[in-house]
Amino acid sequence: MDKTTHFGYQQVAESDKAAKVAEVFHSVAAQYDVMNDLMSAGLHRLWKRFAVAQAGLRPGMKVLDVAGGTADLTRLFLKEVGASGTVLLTDINFSMLREGRDRMLNEGKTPPAVQCDGERLPFPSNYFDCVSVAFGLRNMTHKDQALAEMHRVLKPGGRLLVLEFSKVWKPLEPAYDLYSFKLLPLMGKLVAQDAASYQYLAESIRMHPGQEELKTMMETAGFAKVSYHNLTAGVVALHKGFKV
Amino acid sequence: MITAGLIERSLNHLLRQSPGATEALLRHAGASVRVDLTLAQVDLRIADDGYFSEAAIDTPDAVIRPTAALLTRLPFFGRDALRHADYSGDPALLATLDRVFKQLSWDAEADLAPLVGDIAAHRLHQFGRGALASAAQAFSALGLNAGEYVVEEAELMARGVDVARFNHEVDTLADGVARLDARLRILEIHQPLQEAHPRPT
Repeated sequence: MDKTTHFGYQQVAESDKAAKVAEVFHSVAAQYDVMNDLMSAGLHRLWKRFAVAQAGLRPGMKVLDVAGGTADLTRLFLKEVGASGTVLLTDINFSMLREGRDRMLNEGKTPPAVQCDGERLPFPSNYFDCVSVAFGLRNMTHKDQALAEMHRVLKPGGRLLVLEFSKVWKPLEPAYDLYSFKLLPLMGKLVAQDAASYQYLAESIRMHPGQEELKTMMETAGFAKVSYHNLTAGVVALHKGFKV
Repeated sequence: MITAGLIERSLNHLLRQSPGATEALLRHAGASVRVDLTLAQVDLRIADDGYFSEAAIDTPDAVIRPTAALLTRLPFFGRDALRHADYSGDPALLATLDRVFKQLSWDAEADLAPLVGDIAAHRLHQFGRGALASAAQAFSALGLNAGEYVVEEAELMARGVDVARFNHEVDTLADGVARLDARLRILEIHQPLQEAHPRPT
């Protein structure tokens, strides 16, 4: 029998999860940026800028943006690495990748955009100076495999940045739950005409490993000096680890 | 994490603005440096392009410990404050780091220019530099005045010369006491001999 995994609060066959996640993102792709701004009151821009500031990028470096979707991080990375550097935007979902690619084309930028699975990266080993995954790891079926792949493609000394929803500060939990399970699906229904996808978002955040668990997962995948920083009382956490 | 990112970014920014700095560090590419801030340790490696890159290091080649004196003097004395850091490790690397750090210079005007324009950046920079110089002067004058009040008017503290004179007198007294002590000990040794041969009565 096929192994099962979680899709929000539901248990689904592992082989079905990728298709179900793909459905969600096909559905929300067009309204993704508007909804991000609306749901986080614009805070997601600050979280992403903080992540880029921690990347330690310099001109000429090679960066891989896994599950980069609408290219928010890719665009910021491009400014840091300059014309001599390389930023690769990747996403498993074509609708999201197309949004990101078109957005960059509209800004006159043409970095490569590659549709690929974060759990099987089609890149050589020891190649990138920095790998990032922002709000993407949560949706991957085999997170350990994805982390191992990111470790493989990083150069020794390179760093991985994982920006992801995490466990919120305990006293804020009731308010956060109310917001996530009542307001979020309502906003999804009104703005994106898709309450189910935003219900999945709230559920998938709860099922995602907390700060310490993810840190342990990164260490198990081979990363050294793993640290994390909570943003907005732990609503989001940025994990950083190095390949040695 | 914030401290490490901030130090890495700031140092690299200053290196970028200081001609020849990365070339000097290039000779030590691959070497590791630990900035020990007591509460946090930031490990950096000198990358192949001569810039610093945060890294996971077990045994660094050099350790820099910024002292409290450095941190308090840095805003007013700039690179002169670096004299107050403690350095240990590979002497060649430390010599290069010392030389590079002393030549680092923040071109605030260049950083402000893209935000507010060249003219405003120049004026803001001039204003900032003037304000900082006035603050340093006021700080120094305040220190001198406070010192003068405590020593001369309130007489809560002794002057340096008085302390030195007092120390000299204490040393002289200590020498005198030591000599007296030695003579007493000699007398104590000779006492039993006198008792063994009492004077004739």
